[in-house]
Amino acid sequence: MRHPRDISRRQFLTRAGGAAIAMPSLAAILAACTKPGSTTPGGSGSALDNIPIATLDNPVTLPMTQDPIASNAPIESGPLVLYNWADYIYKKVVQDFEDKFQVDVQITTYNNMEEGIQKVVNGQVAPDVFVPTPGYVRRLVAKNLLQPLQHDLIPNMSNVWPTYSNPGPYYDVGWHYSVPYTIYTWGVAYRRDLVDDAVVAQQGWEALWNHDYAGKISLYDSYGDTLAIAILRNGSLDVNSQDPAVIDAAKQAVLQTINDNQARLTINGVYAKLPAGDYTVAEAWSGDIVGAQWYLPNGVGTDVLGYWKPEDGKTMISNDLLTIPSVSKSPRLAHEFINFMLDDKEGTLNFTGWNGYQPPFNSIQPDTLVQKGIVPETLTSAVVTEEMFKKDLTPYELPSDIDQMWLDAWTEIKAGA
Amino acid sequence: MPEIATETTAPVGQEQAEEPRRRRRRRRGDPGTSDERSGVWYPRWYWPSFIAPGTIALIFLFVLPFYVVFSVAFGTVDFNNFGTAVPYYAPWWWSFHTFNGTLQQFYAGSHIYQDPLFRTFEYVIAASIICLVVGYAVAYYTARFATKYKGLILILLVSPFWISYLMRIYAWQGLLDTDGPINVILGPFGFRNTNFLEGKPITIILGLVYGYIPFMILPIYASLDRIQESLLEAGRDLGGSGAQTFWRVTLPLSRPAILAGIVIVTLPMFGDYYTNDLLGSTKTSMFGNLISQQTEATAGSTRAASLVLILSVIVLIPMMYYLRETKRQVEQA
Repeated sequence: MRHPRDISRRQFLTRAGGAAIAMPSLAAILAACTKPGSTTPGGSGSALDNIPIATLDNPVTLPMTQDPIASNAPIESGPLVLYNWADYIYKKVVQDFEDKFQVDVQITTYNNMEEGIQKVVNGQVAPDVFVPTPGYVRRLVAKNLLQPLQHDLIPNMSNVWPTYSNPGPYYDVGWHYSVPYTIYTWGVAYRRDLVDDAVVAQQGWEALWNHDYAGKISLYDSYGDTLAIAILRNGSLDVNSQDPAVIDAAKQAVLQTINDNQARLTINGVYAKLPAGDYTVAEAWSGDIVGAQWYLPNGVGTDVLGYWKPEDGKTMISNDLLTIPSVSKSPRLAHEFINFMLDDKEGTLNFTGWNGYQPPFNSIQPDTLVQKGIVPETLTSAVVTEEMFKKDLTPYELPSDIDQMWLDAWTEIKAGA
Repeated sequence: MPEIATETTAPVGQEQAEEPRRRRRRRRGDPGTSDERSGVWYPRWYWPSFIAPGTIALIFLFVLPFYVVFSVAFGTVDFNNFGTAVPYYAPWWWSFHTFNGTLQQFYAGSHIYQDPLFRTFEYVIAASIICLVVGYAVAYYTARFATKYKGLILILLVSPFWISYLMRIYAWQGLLDTDGPINVILGPFGFRNTNFLEGKPITIILGLVYGYIPFMILPIYASLDRIQESLLEAGRDLGGSGAQTFWRVTLPLSRPAILAGIVIVTLPMFGDYYTNDLLGSTKTSMFGNLISQQTEATAGSTRAASLVLILSVIVLIPMMYYLRETKRQVEQA
């Protein structure tokens, strides 16, 4: 039989539901009733407008958002939170740092720069040391997310190419916020046991579009890198293009090699999958192919790895940075970590022990690297020299509307359209 | 419970007057009249309160998050802050700029949106049909013929859940590799060195079936197991062949379970993106991949939320059908 109290059950639902929504979050809802963005006219935006986008022709001196920490600040007991790319530091070096300062180092990783930035901006990760690319420094500083470095605590900066401290890099003149971590170029990594050096050298970027390697081609799953490579392949040097036609042609080119040659978008294609034999040719950062030697299966010699880089001036070159976010709970320890990574011995060990990414140290000479067998002879072209920085192309931060064009092109690629 | 019926149909004044008397009587252990002995008195809020945990969970885990999705979709992004989302929580500020733009691109036949959507439908329908056919057969066998192995089969069905989905899909990567066991087995049939992982629809459908088929088997098994033997015997007694009995007795009785299974299986499949992330490529991008890619991209959250809303509406259509069907069945019963 029908229960007369059914009516009150429904009433209960409405009342309870209404109360549960209204009571606890009433204040929050009222606060949310003002239109976000409209409440802070020019507040945060203006800081960014004051700092122009940095280029080699327009180097930028970043404003000091606060004072650096005192040079006699006590060393904190840690732990040190390092927010870094995946597989981008040698564990032995981290261990050495832990032993020297008797602290724990917690490493959190990201797979692409967008992910890394989003989590720092949202506060999901509160690192002591963060490893961004130059294109993000301006926006990080404008948002007060980085703290200036205390130069007295980083004496090892003298080990680094002078250009990084005097006058300092174009994106951070006077190195107020950053020191270089590693330097690298863009090129084509390949299996020398499957393709001849001469064949790759003759094809250049075109190797990544060659149907002979169908199913064995890897491109980076990173919009800035892969679209820029496609621009170079299409014969333009405009790697920071703002021209819709150039961007569209690059998009078409990437789609073509995906559709016709089953090229794959990966992030570990060069350092892990190429040595395993999954790929024959791959778009590569030079550090990835040097690091690939530690991923080779037993019994496979390092001479199977090859790296082609176009003549100077026809590829891109860049460096990654070590920075200290403003949220750092152990800023003095973070300074010590940065100084430690710029130590000749430790920084070189990080490069030659496992990471494969080269720091811009005065002491590192291309000839000796190959002579000592640190870099296989077949990868000589993966060694970066100061000379290359003067000639090669630099990927810059793109204005947000242009960046959106690049992203839209990438969305189309990822949607398999 | 006739006792409560008399209580509520009685005039209010009388009811209030009666209550203390009844309570006193219970405390004394007085069995009372035959009417009252059958039940215990409960306060008004007692039974409705049972639904409160569900209501609260629904509000905090569905209504509020979904409202945030609306607020993000109808909000904007802050290009001065790395393109992070600026949700508009107040409906009177809602801006439909991104949402309309996304919708227009849909109608305009933009491949970015349409291709993954059509692909998703293709894969989900194919995978659901395979799940249903294979799942029904397994459930039927388990319920009717497994006898003493019933428990074992059920444990085996559930056992894959002891290992993380990620690990199991990585295992599939090894199996489907160009030099993996599947290629070796299929070798003699002319499939030598097939790259199943280069973005083949068949691989994605396999992944979906593999991931979701237990959710199809279990409800169907539960329903088949509950069908009374006597009903089937009656079918046979009335001259039906085995096939006819199945067609006219077993199948109709398991219809609600089939519908439930399909809903349980298809809804998550529509939003699935990791199967393609791990077994496919951009050539097999599904709608979920599109959303996931937009959430990762700079300034993409508004568009991602718009796509979520569009997908919800699309998924709502089969869901409405399911609700109507179940309602009809309840009314028939």
